[in-house]
Amino acid sequence: MSERTATKEPATDSRAAPTPGGDPGWKERAIGPIGAIILAIIIVVIGELLVLNGILNDIIVPRPTDVFTALIATFSEGFFYRHLWVTTLEVLIGFVVGTVLGFALGAFLGVSKRARAISYPYIVAFQGLPKVVLAPVFITIFGFGIESKIVMAIAISFFPVLINTMAGLTGVDPQARRLMRSLNASDWHIFTKLSLPSSLPLIFAGIKTGLTLALVGAIVGEFVGADSGLGYLLDVYSYQLEIPRVWAITTVLAAMGVVLFLFIEWVDRKVVFWQSQRELSTTM
Amino acid sequence: MTQPRQGTEVLPSANPAIIGVNGLSKTYQSGSGPIEALADISIEVARGEIVAMLGPSGCGKSTLLEILAGLIPPTSGEVTIDGQNPRPRAEVGLMFQQALLFPWRTVLANVMLPAELSQQSARDWEARANELLGMVGLEGWAEKYHWELSGGMQQRVALARVLLLDPEILLLDEPFGALDEMTRESLDLEMMRIASDADKTVVLVTHNVYEAALMCDRIFVFTPRPGRIAGVVEIDEPRPRSLAFSTTSEFSERVAEVRTLLSGENIDE
Repeated sequence: MSERTATKEPATDSRAAPTPGGDPGWKERAIGPIGAIILAIIIVVIGELLVLNGILNDIIVPRPTDVFTALIATFSEGFFYRHLWVTTLEVLIGFVVGTVLGFALGAFLGVSKRARAISYPYIVAFQGLPKVVLAPVFITIFGFGIESKIVMAIAISFFPVLINTMAGLTGVDPQARRLMRSLNASDWHIFTKLSLPSSLPLIFAGIKTGLTLALVGAIVGEFVGADSGLGYLLDVYSYQLEIPRVWAITTVLAAMGVVLFLFIEWVDRKVVFWQSQRELSTTM
Repeated sequence: MTQPRQGTEVLPSANPAIIGVNGLSKTYQSGSGPIEALADISIEVARGEIVAMLGPSGCGKSTLLEILAGLIPPTSGEVTIDGQNPRPRAEVGLMFQQALLFPWRTVLANVMLPAELSQQSARDWEARANELLGMVGLEGWAEKYHWELSGGMQQRVALARVLLLDPEILLLDEPFGALDEMTRESLDLEMMRIASDADKTVVLVTHNVYEAALMCDRIFVFTPRPGRIAGVVEIDEPRPRSLAFSTTSEFSERVAEVRTLLSGENIDE
């Protein structure tokens, strides 16, 4: 009782809202990007020196300057763009269709407990399967053209979206669900106004993984059997022992992956804006 | 001892019971057999009364609140809310220990949620939502998000949300239990003032004896597992009260009565 004898407690909350932290300064923020560029320069210089001094054979590992020259040469050749277009198309179509399918199926499984129980063994089996082994199967079915690679990209990218959508929908805070029910919310409203938005952070994590995997799927498909695409080009160059060209195409594929990933990350930050904000306010 | 000081204001006939519970029991089925959560609960709450369901964790008091809210059915017994079977509806508002604000919604949009779910035009409710935010001391916070708010402020938003559709009955499940002592006290007093002004019926689930004695007209003391009513303590002090009430002898006597009931000495009466 003694602690309660004060006649008047402060009427305001004892805990103030978090205030934004101070600006750490441009120097602090510039360390990351500048350091990364310096690191890249160091690696390139070391690579150049190792090959020049004969420590590495340039038939096996090309000089960075040779790779750069090959890259310029590649960009000046018209057929490169045809292959680039084919792979881009395969990745984008595969990714979009895979994401839509993964979301639709994941939402269905997330909502229906019965469907989840029935499909569980198949999900576990498919999760354990290294999806690249499907490439020969799809090429047998869909041929050497773009279709088999699209199917490959779909098959490999839809799964993480499915799993994460399902996990997100089944992991909704039961207390929040109770709140919705006490407000007489319909099942549809519980889905659209609670379950779906609260699953979005997980769904986007799945989509990001799926995007990277779509690129893997398309390239693996092209390796196994194709007549066009960057994976096909990579294959041809390595048979011709055009090693700088192989590295140049690899660089293009890496850049493609980075651009797609940055785009999705940007969309993620716009859609799931509350997630990054929350992280920001707890780290401050 | 179960009905101390009977007759002063226990269910005067002019104020008929708005909540009636008669012989209610609730048994859960679990893997290791049935678990009896509540046994033979009979309670009447008059219109405009503030009552507490007080007991240790696991005494089933939250279960009782969920039954009153119409979220789960009782195993046996009768429950009436304003003469009807319990079901989720606008006249009954439920508030939880967590604020449960949706992080993708602004403070204002969170407060408007009940109106949105009852298919009402949001525009009609915006003025009331803003008014309520002013009432709970959050004027100017409408467009903020929950991560910009302290725990106490978040719970104030939840309070504004539960008041939006102007429910007659408020079911509060340890609404300020996760907050620090000082914030909880100030919110308790505010809640009591709001409920008294608007003549709301409040059922407060708590394990805090002081909170119950400060806010409520009557305290139903529950026994642990299965929850039964060990006794009822009446607090004969007009509302709204101030913290000064907690220094009076009336307050400490009632707290002592509740403590005696909680310790189980009078159960076999």
